[in-house]
Amino acid sequence: MISDFFHPNVGGVENHIFMLSANLIRRGHKVIVITHSHAPDRVGVRWLLPGLKVYYIPFPTIASSATLPNYFTFLPYFRVIIAREHIHLIHAHASLSSLGQEAILHAHHLGVRTVFTDHSLFGFEDAASILTNKLLAAALKNVDAVICVSHTGRENTVLRGQLFEKSEDSSALVVRPNVYVIPNALVAEQFTPATEPVSSETIYIVVLSRLAYRKGIDLLVATAPRICSAFPNVNFIVGGDGPKLNDLLQVRERHLLQDRIELLGPVRHRDVRDVLVRGSIFLNTSLTESFGIAILEAACAGLYVVSTRVGGVPEILPHDMISFAKSEEDDLIRALSEAVAIVSKGQHDPIEAHQRVKDFYNWGEVAERTEIVYDAVIKSEQKDLWTRMQRTMELGPFAGPIYTIILVVDCLFFLLLEWLMPRHDLDFVQMHWEHNNFRQVQ
Amino acid sequence: MSSEAEGWNKVLWERQPFPDNYIHPHSFLSSLRRNPNFKPYTYWPLVLLCCAITQHLATIFTFLAVFVRLKERWFDARVLLWVSIASFFGGYALYEILSCSNPVRGAFTRSNTIKSSLLVFLALMGLSPVLRTLTAATSSDSIWALSACLFLLNALLADYSSMKPRHIDPAVNSHLPCRLTSVLSMNAAISSSVVLASRLPDDLAVFVLVLFAVQLFALFPILRHRLQVTPQVAQILFTLTLCILSFALTVPLSVSVAYIYAGISITVTFVAPGVLVWAAEIQKARHFIRGPWDVAVPRLN
Repeated sequence: MISDFFHPNVGGVENHIFMLSANLIRRGHKVIVITHSHAPDRVGVRWLLPGLKVYYIPFPTIASSATLPNYFTFLPYFRVIIAREHIHLIHAHASLSSLGQEAILHAHHLGVRTVFTDHSLFGFEDAASILTNKLLAAALKNVDAVICVSHTGRENTVLRGQLFEKSEDSSALVVRPNVYVIPNALVAEQFTPATEPVSSETIYIVVLSRLAYRKGIDLLVATAPRICSAFPNVNFIVGGDGPKLNDLLQVRERHLLQDRIELLGPVRHRDVRDVLVRGSIFLNTSLTESFGIAILEAACAGLYVVSTRVGGVPEILPHDMISFAKSEEDDLIRALSEAVAIVSKGQHDPIEAHQRVKDFYNWGEVAERTEIVYDAVIKSEQKDLWTRMQRTMELGPFAGPIYTIILVVDCLFFLLLEWLMPRHDLDFVQMHWEHNNFRQVQ
Repeated sequence: MSSEAEGWNKVLWERQPFPDNYIHPHSFLSSLRRNPNFKPYTYWPLVLLCCAITQHLATIFTFLAVFVRLKERWFDARVLLWVSIASFFGGYALYEILSCSNPVRGAFTRSNTIKSSLLVFLALMGLSPVLRTLTAATSSDSIWALSACLFLLNALLADYSSMKPRHIDPAVNSHLPCRLTSVLSMNAAISSSVVLASRLPDDLAVFVLVLFAVQLFALFPILRHRLQVTPQVAQILFTLTLCILSFALTVPLSVSVAYIYAGISITVTFVAPGVLVWAAEIQKARHFIRGPWDVAVPRLN
C-alpha cells in the first residue's frame, strides 16, 4: 500500500487503506504501508495494531498533505524497502498522491506488479484538473490494474486516465479489461442504531460535513430556515467546521433559530455515531461525491437519508432508504418534506436499515474482491521496457517524450543504485509480526 | 451480449453475478454529454457586435484629427467648445430616452448628473493652465510615442460587451462600470489626451480638448452600452455615421493614415468575424466533456 494519505491524518482514503490492509492481513497476506513523514516526529518505521508495518519516508509536504512530484528521489527508498520486505505487488492509492504515482513508475525495475485505486472524481475544465489528469494518464499508462470505488468513478477515471485502447478488429475504442469497481465499506458494528427509538414528536435532521462550498453548504443555508418554518417539529443538528460556518451562524441569528439549529463544531470520527443516532434524517448536500461514505455511515446508524444526486451517490443505497434531490433549493425542500413525512409516519425502521447496510458492505468482502484483482495481476504477463516506452510515447506530442525520458533516466538511476548499493548488501527482513504468537503471549 | 447484460444494475449495494471489471455495454458512459452548451458562431450577429469596436476606433481617430487641427490652429477652439456642449446635451437626451424604455433606473439621478458634469467642467477649466505646461520639459517625440501606447491600451482594454435587456437588474447595473479593464481603458485614454493637450498653444484649446476627451472616452462608452440594445438599423446607421465622420476628418490631414484607418475598420468589422467563424468551424472537433462527476452548481432562489 503506497499513498501520501495515511494515519496519523484522518480521512476517507486513510481509513480505506488501513481497513483494506487489516483485512488482507487477516486473510494471511503480508502488508506494509509506505507514506511520507508527518510533523513533528512521525518518521521511520512504525507498527500499527493488527501487525501493519508503516514506513514513513522523510519527504516534506507541499499542500493538503501531498508531496511534490519529484520522480527520482523516491527510488532509493522504494528499492530498498521493496527488496528487503520481499514485496510482489504494490497498491497505490489516490490520484493526487505523487508518492503512489512514482511507485507505479519505479515498480517494474524490481519485477513488482502494480495496482492503483482512485478515490475521487475530477472535472476536465479547470487548469488544475487538466494538469493532474495528464499526470494520472502518464502514471496509468503502464499500471497493471485500476480499481475505482463507484461506477461513476470508473467512468471518470477511464476518461481522465485514458484507460482505453483501440480494439484489434475495428477502430472503436474499448476500455481496458483491467479496470475494476470495488466499493468502499464500513464497519457496521461502529454504527449501530440507538437502542431506544428516538422520540417521534421532534424530528432531528443531522448534517455532518466539512462546511465548505463543495459540500453544498449554501443549499443547507438556504433550506434550513424554510424547513424550520414549514415544520415546527423539525430541528437541525449540524456537525463540522469550515469556511461556511459563518454563513450558518448568520442565518441562524437572522431567523432566530438558535434553539432549532444546533451547531456542534468539529466532530471526531469516534463521536460520529453518537451524533448520528440523535437524529432520524441525514442530509447530504454535497455538490460532488465519488462514493459518500458519510451517507453509508448514517444509513447504517438507522437514519433515513436525503441527498443531492451527484457523482456516485445514486449507486450506494437502494431507493427505499434514500431520497434524492437535484442541487436546487426547491427540490431539496421537496425531498426533505417527503423524508419528514416518511419518518413521522414511522415507515422507516432503523434496526432493519442497519441490518441491510450490514449485508451490503463489509471490509472482508472488499478484501476478497481486491484479492481477485491481485491474483489476476500476478498471473498476467508483465510488460517489458520497450512496450512501456512505446505506450508512454502514445501520451501525446509533448507529454510522450517527456515521460519517456523520465522512464529512461529512471532506469539508468536504478542501474546506478544497483551498482552503488548492491542487492546482497541490503538488510533483508527475516521476521515479521506473528499475530498468533502475540495472541499466545497474551 | 444483450441477454448476458440483462440483470446488471449500476448499483454498488448488491453483489451481482458479474466480475468487478465487467463493463455494461449500454450504461457505461451513458450520462456523458459532449459539448452541451456549444453554439456555433454565425457571421452577421458577430459583425453587429464588432460595430462597438469600430465605433470606438472611430472615436479615437476623430479625437486625433481634432487634436491635429487644434494644434495647427486650423479652427477655433471655441467652435469645438460649442460642438462638445451640444453633443453632450444631445447624447444625454439620447441616453435618457433609451433609459426610459427600460424601467430600471441607474444609480444617478438627473440633478446629480448635472452637478457632477458642472464640477468636471469647472475643474477642467481651472486645471487647463497647469495641464498646458505639464510636460513642457518632455520632448514631443516621447509624447507621441506615449500617447500612441496609451491609445493602443485603451482600444485593447475597452469594454465592448453589449448590455442585453434581460441582464439589466439593479445589482448588475451598479457593478457594470466597475470592471477593472474598462476603468483602466478609460484612464489610459484620458492620460493620453492630457499629455497630448499639453502640446497645444493656449489654455482654451487645452480645456476644450480635455473636455472633448472626457466626453469621447468616459461618457460615450456608457452611451454605447445603451445603444447596443437599440434596433439593428439604428446601430448600423450610427456606426456608419461615426466612421464617415472620422474618415472625413482624417483624409485632409493625411491620405495614407486615412487608408490605414479604413483598412483597420474594414478588417475589424468584416474580416475578423469571418476568421472567428472559420476558427469555430475548426473547433467543432474539440471535446468538452460533462458528466455526473462534475461539481454541481447549487441553484438558490
